[in-house]
Amino acid sequence: MSEHAPEPDDLRALGDRIDALKRHEFPPPKKNAPTSGEVAIRFATELVSAVIVGAAIGWGLDWVFKTRPILTIVFFMLGAGAGIVNVNRASREITERTAAAARAAEEEDKER
Amino acid sequence: MAINPMEQFEVKPVSWAQAPLFHIGHYPIYFTNQALWMIVVVVSLSLFLILSVNKGRVVPTRAQSLAELSYEFVGGMIDMTSGPAGFRFFPLIFTIFMFILFCNGFGLLPIAFTVTSQIAITFFLTAVVILTAIVTGFVRHGFGFLKLFVIKAPLLIMLPMVLLEFISFCARPLSLSMRLFANMLAGHTMLKVMAGFVITLGSAGGAYTLLAAAPEVLIVGLTALEFLVAFLQAYVFAILSCIYLSEALHLHDNH
Repeated sequence: MSEHAPEPDDLRALGDRIDALKRHEFPPPKKNAPTSGEVAIRFATELVSAVIVGAAIGWGLDWVFKTRPILTIVFFMLGAGAGIVNVNRASREITERTAAAARAAEEEDKER
Repeated sequence: MAINPMEQFEVKPVSWAQAPLFHIGHYPIYFTNQALWMIVVVVSLSLFLILSVNKGRVVPTRAQSLAELSYEFVGGMIDMTSGPAGFRFFPLIFTIFMFILFCNGFGLLPIAFTVTSQIAITFFLTAVVILTAIVTGFVRHGFGFLKLFVIKAPLLIMLPMVLLEFISFCARPLSLSMRLFANMLAGHTMLKVMAGFVITLGSAGGAYTLLAAAPEVLIVGLTALEFLVAFLQAYVFAILSCIYLSEALHLHDNH
């Protein structure tokens, strides 16, 4: 055993320092504001794929329980709802990214 | 003269190896153009990364700084989305990003086959990401991972929301793979259709021959756009993978 056993706090502080240095090693990518085409395709696929998956789940459950077409209809609508949830989430994400890109651009201007 | 713009996406055995390589059960396994181009992509990608950094100069050469740039780009992406904990996925994300980038890039060569225009490939890549996320989630949080589907709300609202969240989770692999696949398919089809216009108009004779210049100019613009799309789709695929993996690591913490 060494004289100074490392204190857990010391280790944590060291870990934080390493994390801070690592963070410095990777500057956040600049100018990654999403283009309008990217946004359009993102929203379209999010919405459509949720509807397809919802309908497919309904179709499968109908096949299991022999209740065609009730569950297909129900899950089709649930899928549409899930699609809207997805688009909502994607839009929040894209807003964040746009804001981050704008902030990065502003900081760059200040440095000049 | 009829040109089929979809013909370029046909998976078929390469001309110099028409016989099946071997059989799995009754299914013959061929060496297809898709396999050929995947090998080309993987070999050139490996050679590029190994040769560019094997000297490890302090002042990087052009190739080395390209490799360093891609490394830092992916690193920054992971740092931004999931913080230091996400770096255990660095090899996965880096591999996927570079593979898609090179597939998209090679696909733009006139003779090449675009590997990422096949849903089988994009869906397999997606399956790797989503399964990694699911396994990580269960290993880290146990059954607490299922909290991902639960939103704090009155019971009457919560129950249908759990269903919606579940469907939305199941839709992810489809939307992620469809996006890459559809982008590559649409872009390359558009290029072929435009090229078809040039040939049809050019061979029509008279004033039509002069008109052929218009789609020709469009092709130049579209090709530039396709280069942007090739990079952008690799980026989007990688960053969404990061987000899904980070959600499995941190559950709802970052919302």
